[in-house]
Amino acid sequence: MENAILIRSARFREEREADWARLEQIVAVAEKRGIHSLSYDDARDLATLYRQAANSLSVAREISLDKALLRYLEALTARAYLAVYAPQERLGGLVSRFFLKSAPQAMRRSAIFILLGFLAMGLGALAGYLLYFEDPAWYNVFMPAGLAGGRGPEASTEFLRRVIYQEGGHDGLGAFATFLFSHNTRIAIFVFGLGVFACAPAFLLTFYNGLIFGAFYALHVERGLGWDIAGWLSIHGVTELSAICIACGGGLKLGSAVLFPGQRLRGEALRQEGKDAVKLALVAGLMLFAAAVLEGFGRQLVQDMNTRLIIGWGIGGLWLAWFVFVGRERT
Amino acid sequence: MSNQRRRHQRPKPSLRLLEDFIPPEGVPIPFETAGLGVRLGAQLLDIIITILFAIALTVVIAVTNIFGLEGSFAAWALLFFIIRIPYYIMTELFWNGETLGKRFLKIKVISADGRSLSPHAVVVRNLTKEAEVFLPLTLMIALPGMDFWTSLLALGWIAAVLIAPFFSKKRQRLGDLIAGTYVIHKPVSELLPDLSRATSVQTAERFAFMPHQLDHYGAYELQTLESLLQRDSAPHMTYDLKRRNEETIEAIVTRIRRKIDYSDPIDRLDHRDFLKAFYAAQRAHLEQRQLFGDKREDKYDVAERRQTAGR
Repeated sequence: MENAILIRSARFREEREADWARLEQIVAVAEKRGIHSLSYDDARDLATLYRQAANSLSVAREISLDKALLRYLEALTARAYLAVYAPQERLGGLVSRFFLKSAPQAMRRSAIFILLGFLAMGLGALAGYLLYFEDPAWYNVFMPAGLAGGRGPEASTEFLRRVIYQEGGHDGLGAFATFLFSHNTRIAIFVFGLGVFACAPAFLLTFYNGLIFGAFYALHVERGLGWDIAGWLSIHGVTELSAICIACGGGLKLGSAVLFPGQRLRGEALRQEGKDAVKLALVAGLMLFAAAVLEGFGRQLVQDMNTRLIIGWGIGGLWLAWFVFVGRERT
Repeated sequence: MSNQRRRHQRPKPSLRLLEDFIPPEGVPIPFETAGLGVRLGAQLLDIIITILFAIALTVVIAVTNIFGLEGSFAAWALLFFIIRIPYYIMTELFWNGETLGKRFLKIKVISADGRSLSPHAVVVRNLTKEAEVFLPLTLMIALPGMDFWTSLLALGWIAAVLIAPFFSKKRQRLGDLIAGTYVIHKPVSELLPDLSRATSVQTAERFAFMPHQLDHYGAYELQTLESLLQRDSAPHMTYDLKRRNEETIEAIVTRIRRKIDYSDPIDRLDHRDFLKAFYAAQRAHLEQRQLFGDKREDKYDVAERRQTAGR
């Protein structure tokens, strides 16, 4: 309005309104098309104007009681903050950093927990193996009915051999493969997630998975198919079971943060240890995916026992090399 | 006494506002946290989008007939799993904390530490989503086929996941807590006119206020008056609203006049001008006092201070 009275805070507002409008305009573009689409001038002004707006907000909170102004500045600063501090990651950079640096480093930092994961699996397998020889009825106790696919103590040796070397029953095995993939994936997720509850569930679940594996192996050893099943399992199993052990290691890491937070608060410890644990989970997920690919294609294509063993353990060796050698900083 | 009155009179500051969010510039920004209803809506939208995407891909696979019919079903289950995790992570990372569902409902993920959203935080909050959202969903579907103890366990987990956010003041689910993120409403900035300038010098002179007349109210009352006047001058008002505003304004004018001892008669047509002039004078007065370090929150402020000083 003409000839209005101008109190101090109104003058403050009048002097800066044009800048705020300009900031709002830049922010609107950044919100719509991303900050990369800003012109050089706009990008430069965005940073300065954002700081000015934050400054204005801080001053306005002290000198002004104009609610309209305060609300506006709060919202404008918030929008500008979100535009300025948007994540600037590129997919390529993210992926290469993960593979070349952060993942293997996290693996090395949590080596102890991963070894504990392998220990749980190994003990489980040993127990399952021994228990089976004590009494084959244990097999049905450990093995979920869906997972066995008809392969139990009551199945004939001929049937077991046929499943291993694919004489017919192609489709059945394909379905079994996808099921096994989803079963083990689920186990890995549980093993990781449940680790938060003080380690025990992760350890036990991995142990149980070992039991299944041990009993299954013992069944075939009893029928004189030990090496054949080793080949059948190795081609993907080395990768897959390692993935579960690594997921277990991640879970144990979370659990240990809850059990032994040290000087930190529990939540804080969980958040810090979570950084490595999540990378372990991602590595495990990646390995499970690779295992599923191996299982879906490799096992059908490669029928020779020795080739299966070589491929399986060779790929296992490659994983190990990745964890041990990649991303070492030169000293 | 005055404390009790204050509790009755002044509404509590909204629980929804983040009080401790400080960006690197050091000026706190009060974001409004998103309620669970909106977040559930966004989640449902995202699930629908990913399912549609998976269905589309499965149809392509089924049409090309690589794996046969059975394989197509397996592919569908795999796809839904394989698509959804990267979907949430990629969208939140590259669209600055928004998935498509969040975008529709205008909410957003921000990092609790005031820095930019880190890839780690995004990955964590979406991996935990598997356990917090998708696991209960699968469990609910599988519930009828389970035995007693398993279903009890499943129900326990579902309940725990559903209840957890209600215990967090900032409506964080477990994944948010671990990742250190909040979900907020996107701020909307709208600059309303400066009411202190809505009155001309002539009007201000017509309603002159003495300093002691401006000593009755604090910032809270001033801003309530401002909200009323802003609402009153908004465009597109229904007849009903206008009439109600008229009544409120009349009541307020009477109260203010009584409180500050303003004895000159005010014509009915001048009510708005009176309030605007009073607003400008009161604001100038309060801001002036505030500059001298005498900040006044509301009308009880002074009485309280006198009480504590007298003790």
